[in-house]
Amino acid sequence: MIHHLPATVRHNPVFAVLAGFWVLLGLFVALHQPGLVSATSVTSILQFATILALVSLGQALVIVAGGAGIDLSLGGNVSLSAILGMLAIGAGAPGPALPVLCLAAGAVLGLVNGLLVTRLKIFPLIITLGTFYVYSGLALALTGGAALPGVPDWALPWGRGTLSVLPLPFLTLVVPAFLLAAVILWFSAWGRWIYAMGYNEPAARLVGIPVDPMRIALYTLAGLLAGAAAFVSLAWFGSGRPNMGVNLELESLTAALLGGVAIFGGRGGVLGVLSAVLLLVALKTSMLQLGISPVWQVGAVGLLLILVVLVDRFWTRRS
Amino acid sequence: MAPSRRSDIAALVGRRELALAASCLVAIGLFSITAPAFGTPDNMLTILRNSVELLLVGLGMTLLMAMGAIDVSVGVVLGLAAIGVGQVLAAGAPPLAAAVAGPAAGAGLGVVTACVVVLGRIPPIVATLGLFGVFRTAIFVLLGGRWLSGLPTGLTDLLRREVAGLPVTAWIVGAVYLLAWAALRWTPYGPRLLAIGNSEDKARLSDIAIIRWRFATFVISGALCGLAATFYVATYRNVEMTIGSTLALEAIAAVVLGGTALTGGRCSLLGTVLGVILLRIIQNGLLLSGVPSLWQTVVTGGLLLAVVSLEVVTGNTRLSRLVRRPA
Repeated sequence: MIHHLPATVRHNPVFAVLAGFWVLLGLFVALHQPGLVSATSVTSILQFATILALVSLGQALVIVAGGAGIDLSLGGNVSLSAILGMLAIGAGAPGPALPVLCLAAGAVLGLVNGLLVTRLKIFPLIITLGTFYVYSGLALALTGGAALPGVPDWALPWGRGTLSVLPLPFLTLVVPAFLLAAVILWFSAWGRWIYAMGYNEPAARLVGIPVDPMRIALYTLAGLLAGAAAFVSLAWFGSGRPNMGVNLELESLTAALLGGVAIFGGRGGVLGVLSAVLLLVALKTSMLQLGISPVWQVGAVGLLLILVVLVDRFWTRRS
Repeated sequence: MAPSRRSDIAALVGRRELALAASCLVAIGLFSITAPAFGTPDNMLTILRNSVELLLVGLGMTLLMAMGAIDVSVGVVLGLAAIGVGQVLAAGAPPLAAAVAGPAAGAGLGVVTACVVVLGRIPPIVATLGLFGVFRTAIFVLLGGRWLSGLPTGLTDLLRREVAGLPVTAWIVGAVYLLAWAALRWTPYGPRLLAIGNSEDKARLSDIAIIRWRFATFVISGALCGLAATFYVATYRNVEMTIGSTLALEAIAAVVLGGTALTGGRCSLLGTVLGVILLRIIQNGLLLSGVPSLWQTVVTGGLLLAVVSLEVVTGNTRLSRLVRRPA
């Protein structure tokens, strides 16, 4: 698999789009808002990127593993994990347990997806669309739409704390998660299994790769990462809001595909995804600084998603 | 040996449809006990009235899912078309012009969707999720943070007028369904649509102009969303920012409930009608029984998952086709 990587990169047209956008963004910032290139703005971009990076990593792994894999429920998972964590705290659970509760809730919600997808063998898109509405609906229904206050003080640094330039959550969650994922994908048998089942599932089954357990594990992992994102969101806002994960499914899908993950699975890496996440967040930040209303963001992300898939489609077919 | 009367009926309308009709009756019976206000004729009319938009959007979704596609942007397409209808009305145009503006705007948006999905050859779920974002922004921008409200009553009066004992709305919805049924039954459209849903590769080998049929179906679905928008504006006479946010879920749930195959290749219009009505009965009944409306999304999503699970457990879905094929 290591030997195949450079070829994968060369044959992946999306990286050209990604690089092009970085150059455009760099030029634009240099010409119009030189002020954006400062330590504080790097910090704030990394802060905003933390949640999306965690969720996108899970999304990317689920898609790479193929079987029409996609997790549309991740935004709902983030909202519901945060709400469940806060409800448990409100019901008397000890404050220090908050991150564990969020992670556990996220993992269980992901496990539900994984079990439904593998046991029922139905399109992940239908399953996760259903669980998306159930999860985000539950988050809303359990709170009645109101915010749940009472995030313990010790947790707040995981929202806005920094270590010199680097935000604490980015350093303690995103960096280890991406490093670990990279090591697993490139250097372990699990990584080779994931690419193999994504590239050709029947063949992967024939050679004895435990496709279903791997897929369950990946959906659970995506849920776990969503739980981590939920904890960071709680620390960021200082309260649990039922709409915390709104639009994250769209943004994480865009980040994964812009990062070079093939929508049909079997291709993609984590560094591209991280780069795409940072690009998306930098794009959104500079739009805000230009005074463009935030309502344009979801449209821009949607347009980017379509553009990336179109480029991938037509470029790949030509070559 | 003459077949029994019961299997005659089953053959005519199908087992799924019978089960759905029975479920509707059971639900009506149960909710009449839990909520005294449920069983009144007035409330039954309300349920039917509330089903109109979903019936039209669900019809489009049925056709899309029959050919193995899906569209999660139907709610915002309805929203954009509703803004169009509202602005035509507010500009003082005759109600008939406003009524036509809905389907026209919807068809236009359907062309956009079709161009991206069909010509761009992108998996429909990815493309329509992207378009969902784009259209959502368009709604925000067009409404500029305000509701479109206090629209003239001309369109409302037009569609509420009774012809031969039924409101115009009912005639139009009935006519649209009859037309769709006839097109599926007696024109090449039906067999082609199901062939594409069954297996795109085989359809291509049989020389079916896949691109043309898929393009047309996305445009038809858009036009139906637009027609639904006309009825929406006529009923509520305002357009709010969050319009249509759960419509895609409801449409998909109703269609799956109605027995249209998740993998394409099989569809039932009568099933969709009954699925829509059952869904609305459950939503209305729960509301009147004191369940807060915030739970509706959870119930609808849970219903979708339950039906899908049941389909697989009872062996109604062919498993072999589900591998490596993003819808």
